[in-house]
Amino acid sequence: MVIQYKCPNCGADMSFDSESGHLSCPSCGRQDEIETFPETNILRKFDPGEAKEYHCENCGAVILTEAETTATHCSFCGAPVLIADRLSGDLAPAKVIPFTISKEEAVAAFQKWTKNGRLTPRGFTSGDRIKKMAGMYVPFWLYDIDGTADVAALATRVRSYTRGDTIYTETDFYDVRRKMDLSYLKVPADASEKMDDELMDKLEPYNYEELKDFRMPYLAGYLAEKYDYDDEALFSRIESKIVPYIDSYISSTVSGYSTVSYTNKQIQTNKKNVYYTLFPVWMVYYDFENKEHTFAMNGQTGKVVGKPPISPFKVAAWFTGIAASTFAVMKVISFAVGGVLW
Amino acid sequence: MKGFQVKWLLIFSILLVFSGVGGITASAAVDQRVYDNADLLSESEIAELEAVAAEHSRKHGTDFLFWTTADEQSLYIQDDMGDFYDTWAEENGQENAVLLSMNIATRDVYLAGFGTAERSLDNQRVNLVLDRIIPEMQRGDYADAFHETVTTSSRYMEFRPGVNPENIFFKTWFQLAIALLLGAGVVGFMLYNSGGRVTTTSTTYFDDDHTKVTSKLDQFRNKTISRRKVPKKSSGGGGFGGGGSTGGGRSFSGGGRKF
Repeated sequence: MVIQYKCPNCGADMSFDSESGHLSCPSCGRQDEIETFPETNILRKFDPGEAKEYHCENCGAVILTEAETTATHCSFCGAPVLIADRLSGDLAPAKVIPFTISKEEAVAAFQKWTKNGRLTPRGFTSGDRIKKMAGMYVPFWLYDIDGTADVAALATRVRSYTRGDTIYTETDFYDVRRKMDLSYLKVPADASEKMDDELMDKLEPYNYEELKDFRMPYLAGYLAEKYDYDDEALFSRIESKIVPYIDSYISSTVSGYSTVSYTNKQIQTNKKNVYYTLFPVWMVYYDFENKEHTFAMNGQTGKVVGKPPISPFKVAAWFTGIAASTFAVMKVISFAVGGVLW
Repeated sequence: MKGFQVKWLLIFSILLVFSGVGGITASAAVDQRVYDNADLLSESEIAELEAVAAEHSRKHGTDFLFWTTADEQSLYIQDDMGDFYDTWAEENGQENAVLLSMNIATRDVYLAGFGTAERSLDNQRVNLVLDRIIPEMQRGDYADAFHETVTTSSRYMEFRPGVNPENIFFKTWFQLAIALLLGAGVVGFMLYNSGGRVTTTSTTYFDDDHTKVTSKLDQFRNKTISRRKVPKKSSGGGGFGGGGSTGGGRSFSGGGRKF
């Protein structure tokens, strides 16, 4: 199914506007609430053919998409197109965080980020070679985790005191046991195969206050992907992600000791709820010295991640600068204290 | 990048200013500093030692003196040393001196600082010098031991009184190592974070309302007590002295050893 939102005024294709949170018409500027958009202006056409081929309702061109793509643009007339059958049924997202950073803001934020790159080559810091920017809804699974932990530990409390000319060191040993209920809410894991897991983890955190129930119009004007991994497949990734969190909570419950060594740690985690959610990500494709660098920007907070090119000269300059000034400072201190420079 | 040049210029000029301060010169017009009564050194060794001693004496305005004897009857080397120094000071009209005395018969050695050297070469520094020369004395390598006495004492006297000149923070290699480590650490940290940092913490997804300890036990099990003696401040094996006054009333810092 191909869905297009036709402007009730002029008939142009409307797309989601990140600033107002409404559907907006690029031709006449009309804005419409997503919740109240007239049903009659939603153009749906079911296409029984190939999963990879759709006809654009705007210009009649055949749109070719990858099987995972759920929202795209017509490559001929540029009209935003949603391919609805990939979002319905089992695949329908439950939640979405809409874009709050528009394309212009994203470009500005990216350029600001490149300017702050202390180790990147001079030509890179100008940030003016953006080849392509794509606003993309990346599929994530959000897990509500609950679980229990049962830990046993041997802890010591050490104190020492002096009586006469003897130093006494007193070590008290304790058996420590803690049982606890654990709960973590909406821990995300990206479900797209294309997206680098490490990159997506660094994009976090998203502000969940703007988490909305999914509605199709949010996707208009952006690319969207369908998940490649289901929630079962990703649960092990979530577990490895929260184990350090659980460990730090456990140690926060065992306090007041000099040493703690755990003799037994039993942690059980279950997923209570899972939400199929779309997170907004700006993908930035940047050309530098004949190489394409890919960066991702959190479409809600503007945080940029991705490996920038590194200038060996700047690395050397920073190293030399820091080492030389530290050395000079230590020399000045040793002169001030000892009266000797060498 | 522009700041670097200015920074370098600043560092360089600081170094230049400070290096000029060290060169206090005062002439100590004495022609003999080595009194080798026990005949432990050859003619050429004495001449060489005189030259080195003269050079460093000029630098600090303090004479570096050597006095050797072979007196089996001597009870305390400090007393003999004091007598020698009283005579020497009156003959030469000098009150600032570093004096290394040794009695080859009783195998005593004593290093003392008089006048300004009482502060610039205090007991602690005397012991540090002795630590370095005693192995050479034990080998019978007196010329080198005396030579080292001059250079090491002279070096220590450049430091402000009271600080330990052997403190690791004064060592250039240590300062250099710290500087390089810090540089590598900071740049490494910048490199590591250049691709964006993980900013989620253990509290990001933490559910305060439903995470809680349901049962808790802290059971005392047993107790061990270990005892050890308060370590005594050791005053250097076989050392003696620590300054005093000569028969002529001249006070000094100093320390002595058997070798």
